[in-house]
Amino acid sequence: MTLGAVDIASYLPVLLLMTMAILFAIGNLAGSQLIGPRRTGAVKEGTYESGMNPVGNARKRFNIRFYLIAMVFLVFDIEIIFLYPWAVTFPNLDHQYADGAVWLGRILFFMLTTIVAYIYGYRKGVFKFD
Amino acid sequence: MPKPDFLTAQFLTNAITIGIVVHVLLVSAGLSIYLERKISAYMQDRIGPNRTGFDLGLPLLKQLFRGFGFWGLGQSLADGLKMFLKEDYTPRNVDKVLFMLAPGIIVIPALMSFAVIPWGGTFAFPGFVMPVLGWEIAAADVQVLGANVSIGLIYMLAVASLGIYGVALGSWASNNKYSFLGGLRASAQMLSYEIPMGLCLMTVLLITGSLLPSAIIDWQISNGWLIISQPIAGVMLFICMLAECNRAPFDNAECEGELVAGYHTEYGSMRFGLFALAEYIHMITNSALFATVFLGGWTLIPFVPVPGLRPEDVGIVAVLAKFAVLFGKAALLVCFMIAIRWTLPRLRYDQVMQMGWQAMIPLSLIIVIANAFLTFYGLTSTVAMLVANVAILAVILAVQPFLPRANTNRKIRIAGSRFSPLEDEIVQAAPAAAYAADDPRRTQVTTGVM
Repeated sequence: MTLGAVDIASYLPVLLLMTMAILFAIGNLAGSQLIGPRRTGAVKEGTYESGMNPVGNARKRFNIRFYLIAMVFLVFDIEIIFLYPWAVTFPNLDHQYADGAVWLGRILFFMLTTIVAYIYGYRKGVFKFD
Repeated sequence: MPKPDFLTAQFLTNAITIGIVVHVLLVSAGLSIYLERKISAYMQDRIGPNRTGFDLGLPLLKQLFRGFGFWGLGQSLADGLKMFLKEDYTPRNVDKVLFMLAPGIIVIPALMSFAVIPWGGTFAFPGFVMPVLGWEIAAADVQVLGANVSIGLIYMLAVASLGIYGVALGSWASNNKYSFLGGLRASAQMLSYEIPMGLCLMTVLLITGSLLPSAIIDWQISNGWLIISQPIAGVMLFICMLAECNRAPFDNAECEGELVAGYHTEYGSMRFGLFALAEYIHMITNSALFATVFLGGWTLIPFVPVPGLRPEDVGIVAVLAKFAVLFGKAALLVCFMIAIRWTLPRLRYDQVMQMGWQAMIPLSLIIVIANAFLTFYGLTSTVAMLVANVAILAVILAVQPFLPRANTNRKIRIAGSRFSPLEDEIVQAAPAAAYAADDPRRTQVTTGVM
């Protein structure tokens, strides 16, 4: 198979597997819904807060650090996505020619930008969780 | 009716493999719950489940299996049936649709992610003609795996990380503070550890030069297992897998003392069952991935070709033997994960995140860059890479004391306390209670300034 030509037929088993997984999930959820008993009440339906009366609900403000993690994750994850094609093709290059050095230099520069971003985040205290 | 194009030997093998492996996974997920209870029982000097057999409470079967307990193997089946029979109960304040969907969303990627693991190497598929339809399937050498896709490991990473949606949706929909905090923690932790996981797998790709797990196994057959040549990446990948599965010592999402049960606090019956099932299936598939990438897949002994487990063995017996070897490795890794759970105490949440962002990510970046240079200079023999790994480890250990340190865990001296007494203070280390008065050690430990 040549690069660039995606063999769509090889993804058919994934479709089959996905169908099986969805049917399994639906079957289990529906099955326990049908079989189980149903006895409800005002107290039983309340939110669980260790037996105390619930105070408000959970739609509240939460720590900004989780947002920061999500943002920094995007930076690193996109870096990894760009690195994967390089990582697969790089060992297959012919290193006797200049190609290898050029590609190593380019990707090292690309990684350098990420390392700068990491150091910036570190100095700003993004990775502190205490 | 003409034969559809996709109906080849490879597709049939894929379909059969999926059909078998899904059931094997579901059964072994149940068995690994039994295994977890049994191993924890042995580690805590208990007996564990040893009564439940397969009689299902029916008098006839009870008569048949009289006096035979099956060592408690029926426990998981009984637990599953019990979950079905429990009330499927929805609290009043929840977001009903998402609350229903979340267990399904978490179990679907868990069941899908095993597709690219090469369970049985190559199989010589015999050609045959379908009886009624008259379609001819040509004989071919096929790969025994769920889906023979060219993206290989990326598929595994992509599908496995979809599990975060189930956790996040379940916790948000529950509208419960414990669930919400547990879900936030779980998703932040899974995101954080996905980065070093991807980078560790990238070191493997830099050496083998292929995304296909079968090609990675081929490389390991000729060059030895990758855990020998890349020990740092292997150990880090295993740690990341523990964190991805929310397993101890990284089970902050469901730490009982703080968050009751984390993101599935409000769930009961089979909905909770699906959350638990997804966790165990994730454990098994991640172990199988680790065994494929670092422990040589279906090869039994590094460097030594075992008869029946060589790449040129393509019979049905060889395929089953390879499946058994790979699955056995995965089962041993699951046992190892369970043993870790009952050995190591849980890390505090800030320690988990600090370890992820301040240790795992820089370290994995370092080994990726080091491996890029090794590949560039052609030093990809086992010995060269092992030496490079040891050198990296030595450099890190040498540099580590000079790196900036977080203040979090520093010991704060409280003047006048037992551990930092004042200048002229005599510390009475032994208890002064009456029952300890005749303890012979009392006189020995009455020391002065520490």
